[in-house]
Amino acid sequence: MRPDTPHVFKSPLTRFVVAALAWLPVTFGAWYLLAPVLLWPVRLLVEFVANVGFRDVVRTIESGGRSLTFITTLKPAEGVGAGVVSVDVNMLVYAFGMPLFAALTLAAHEAKWWRTLAIGYAVIVPFVAWGVLADFLKGIAIVAPAAIASQTGFSGWQREMIAFAYQFGTLILPAVVPAVLWVLLHRAFLERLRRPAG
Amino acid sequence: MLRFFFLFVLLLAVLFGLELTPWAQEWLVQPWTSTLASISTWIVTLFDLDVVATGKVMRSGATGFAVSIEAGCNGVEATLVLLAAMLAFPAPWNYKFVGLIIGIVAVQLLNILRVISLFYIGQWNYDVFEWAHLYVWQALIMLDVLVVWLIWVRRIPRSEDSRSPPAAPPALAAG
Repeated sequence: MRPDTPHVFKSPLTRFVVAALAWLPVTFGAWYLLAPVLLWPVRLLVEFVANVGFRDVVRTIESGGRSLTFITTLKPAEGVGAGVVSVDVNMLVYAFGMPLFAALTLAAHEAKWWRTLAIGYAVIVPFVAWGVLADFLKGIAIVAPAAIASQTGFSGWQREMIAFAYQFGTLILPAVVPAVLWVLLHRAFLERLRRPAG
Repeated sequence: MLRFFFLFVLLLAVLFGLELTPWAQEWLVQPWTSTLASISTWIVTLFDLDVVATGKVMRSGATGFAVSIEAGCNGVEATLVLLAAMLAFPAPWNYKFVGLIIGIVAVQLLNILRVISLFYIGQWNYDVFEWAHLYVWQALIMLDVLVVWLIWVRRIPRSEDSRSPPAAPPALAAG
């Protein structure tokens, strides 16, 4: 899909959309297969933040490649001696922006697209970590029974912040970040799209 | 472009915050979600009479399978993203107005296709349903929003948006 080669579709925008749709199955397949590697930095970032900010709640984090299991210090109920609460988080739910960004970037096929892919990946990783952490916090502070949630010590406004962070990190960030990032990194491509034909 | 970016982020955060308020949920989001279920069910009953909508739930009488349209699947967030992107981008107000009307319709039409497709995919294979629901359709809806926005930006008269987007840095312009 280089701009100087003949194409079936006259409009560069149509070419771009068709190319993006063609790339999506490829990038989604690669993303799923490579997820344990691609999401490894997310795990490191989540572990770092959990160690710094939630050390009293998170005992350890186990990785299943595409998911994380947070082993907490919380007890299942008051007075229960054995057993602790664990929370599983599917990281893929927050990481589908990676194949979307890759498909958009490959469809635009600008110079140094591989560098753009690397930049996009590096920027998306922290937002995936956001979603994963917010999902975990929602699990222990909002969804969990009162007997568990009360052990976290979160105040009312902190629960509100967790709820907002979870909603924003689930409904907005995973899809919007790759699209906005693509626009910011493809300003020259956008200029060409807007140029009148001929 | 930076002005557009910051304005977009600000508008999106404000719009999303407003969407989460109990008032917006009760008077806008929930009624729209039920309407979406009714529209999707009406379309489906054109070829499959055994489907009914109850509130935001679509149910198959034949298989007992049902889907509940939840936040993220009602197209409201995608609409908010488009709204923020069109409001933040410098363009005449009449272009914004017409773009929003057509854009929202385009996003919601694809979202109806998403709901109907998921309803049948779920009855066929739950693993495929999970994939389509959690990953693929999310990406397709955002691609739809992006394409609608790109089409709209292309149609804005050049003289009206001289402030944006600025020339790309040489490294990007070389492509």
